[in-house]
Amino acid sequence: MRRTIGVAAAALLFCAGCSSMGVEPWERDILAKDEMQLTTDELEAATDDHIYFSKEASSGGRGFGGGGCGCN
Amino acid sequence: MSRKENCSISAALAAATCTLLGSGVPAPVDAQEEPLWDFNTSLLYYGEDGDRVKDFSVSAIARRMFVDDRFLTLSLTVDGLTGATPSGAIRQDVPQTFTRPSGNAAYTVPPEVLPLDDTFKDTRVALGAGWQQPVGETSLINVGASASREYDYTHVGVNAKMARDFNQRNTTLSAGFAYSFDSLDPVGGAPTPLTPMLDVGDTSNRLGDQDKDVLDLIIGITQVLSRNLVVQANYSYSKSDGYLTDPYKVLSLVDGTTGDTLLRTLTPGVAGPSHQFLFENRPGERTKHSIYGQVKYYMNGKVLDASYRYMTDDWDIDSHTVDLRYRIPFGADSYFEPHLRFYTQSEAEFYQLSIPDSQPLPGFASADYRLGNFDAITAGLKYGWRTRNDNEMSVRVEAYRQSGTVPSSQIIGNQAARDNYPDLNAVIVQVGYRF
Amino acid sequence: MSKLQVLRGLLVTLALAASPIALTAPPAGDALDISEYRDKVVLLDFWASWCVPCRRSFPWLNTMHQKYAQDGLVIIGINVDQEPGDAAKFLRAYPAQFEISYDTDGVLAKEYGVQAMPSSFVIGRDGQVKARHRGFKVKRQEEYEATIVATLQQEKVE
Repeated sequence: MRRTIGVAAAALLFCAGCSSMGVEPWERDILAKDEMQLTTDELEAATDDHIYFSKEASSGGRGFGGGGCGCN
Repeated sequence: MSRKENCSISAALAAATCTLLGSGVPAPVDAQEEPLWDFNTSLLYYGEDGDRVKDFSVSAIARRMFVDDRFLTLSLTVDGLTGATPSGAIRQDVPQTFTRPSGNAAYTVPPEVLPLDDTFKDTRVALGAGWQQPVGETSLINVGASASREYDYTHVGVNAKMARDFNQRNTTLSAGFAYSFDSLDPVGGAPTPLTPMLDVGDTSNRLGDQDKDVLDLIIGITQVLSRNLVVQANYSYSKSDGYLTDPYKVLSLVDGTTGDTLLRTLTPGVAGPSHQFLFENRPGERTKHSIYGQVKYYMNGKVLDASYRYMTDDWDIDSHTVDLRYRIPFGADSYFEPHLRFYTQSEAEFYQLSIPDSQPLPGFASADYRLGNFDAITAGLKYGWRTRNDNEMSVRVEAYRQSGTVPSSQIIGNQAARDNYPDLNAVIVQVGYRF
Repeated sequence: MSKLQVLRGLLVTLALAASPIALTAPPAGDALDISEYRDKVVLLDFWASWCVPCRRSFPWLNTMHQKYAQDGLVIIGINVDQEPGDAAKFLRAYPAQFEISYDTDGVLAKEYGVQAMPSSFVIGRDGQVKARHRGFKVKRQEEYEATIVATLQQEKVE
């Protein structure tokens, strides 16, 4: 449990240095593609979540938000 | 001659021509209307081998766009389930008879066959609704509700999530929660935990309806690393409280030396269990922690999607999941996507193959294979293509296989000679259509 | 062939010759010389084929062009697509009545400090940037238009 929090904290701290990483707003052509979204097919992801939730002891975990075209 | 006719030349030239003709304010060429509705539909078949579970389901998600990136999402899934599932009792060299969960009938399992309970013909309907909109210049919020119903189970839930962009939208921080309230009305009533399975018609050890609630929290960060690489990491917390036991599952009460299930004295003329079985019992609480990381990497038209999830909980279950998908374009309008998933979990603290009569009764015990120690692998292939009317269709076929082991300390006497863990082999076929 | 058809054919040829829209591969990142547009109000709109709000901004830009071109408004849509053919595909679906320019290497986008897609810059008759708009919101169209009108009404400072 402590190890989990440690790893999570390290990941977040690592990304505090993320301010220098990334692309310019006009360089997001590839990131805007459907196949580059974090969840490409919502229905397929929901189906898998449901199957594995019914057959295994773990569930979910997937996040949301970010990536993409970054428009507006 | 109408103004429209004057300007009826290909779009790229329209402006120039109309200006030359000096027709004042030319008729605007109609820009392609952005479709307001978006539909994602699918048909799914999930089938385990032999007499085990088969599921057929139809799903649809409808999304309606409103002005300036606001969306309303509605979803519906209808599932039809048939087939049998392991009851938790172990195989024996002799036939075994069990009372059905309803208490109204009995069924017999031949020797050497894994006892399966087939009282699971069921239809489930699930609905969802959500609203998403931007907040200010760099945030977005999403709120939703869900509900589902099957003959013995009702679920209602609410959820909300927020995301905020930083660093010119290269970094996104997100947070979300979901709360659900589920109630169970098991066939025949929930049995008093760790009491014996009784004769047909005897429902003296039944409790009423049960319920549970689940709170899920998630925080995450998404980071664009380069023009073709985006990563995400998140942490989830889940707390369940209430009735977490499976009311239909039992454990075999066995002899502490031979490991054989104890016989039960039957009343003449009364149908009932041939051996002694106890209903399982799980704790009334469960806390889970997960960390999840995902990478999406674009290489010359191909996309790699790789993710890892680690889960640990206070039932002592630890699991690791690695999921890999690789999308390969095929021609201009279609793609192949092979898929591999590896999963492993360690057994729950109270998981046991059977209950030996030589020891005091445990507080919690379950022989449900889904709480056991097993590895699972999924291998599949998806093929998708753009249809003639510019919509998207896809088909995927996957094989899912679970194989588990019972900790050697739990194997007693004659049990060692048998195959105790109910391995699982299933096929998944899904056809999707987006328009 | 009727006289009408011949006339149409001639007009098409003339239009092709006069059209500022390139029909062959667009030049990569042409430098924009603002001094060319002295005494005009220039609306620079940075757009891309992959930018969803751009589908809504184009009809509005066309309307602005129709309403204010005679008052000295010049709209230049600066495309930042890196894949050839993507821009042309977008323009077939969402035609532009205004001038289109290409900034494939993002040199102009960097020079103007584009922070989000789409971005528009209103440049006054004196060559100075008077307003910037990040993103395109349908609900803020009137606000965008008011900025253009105000800039058009400003006298050029000698």
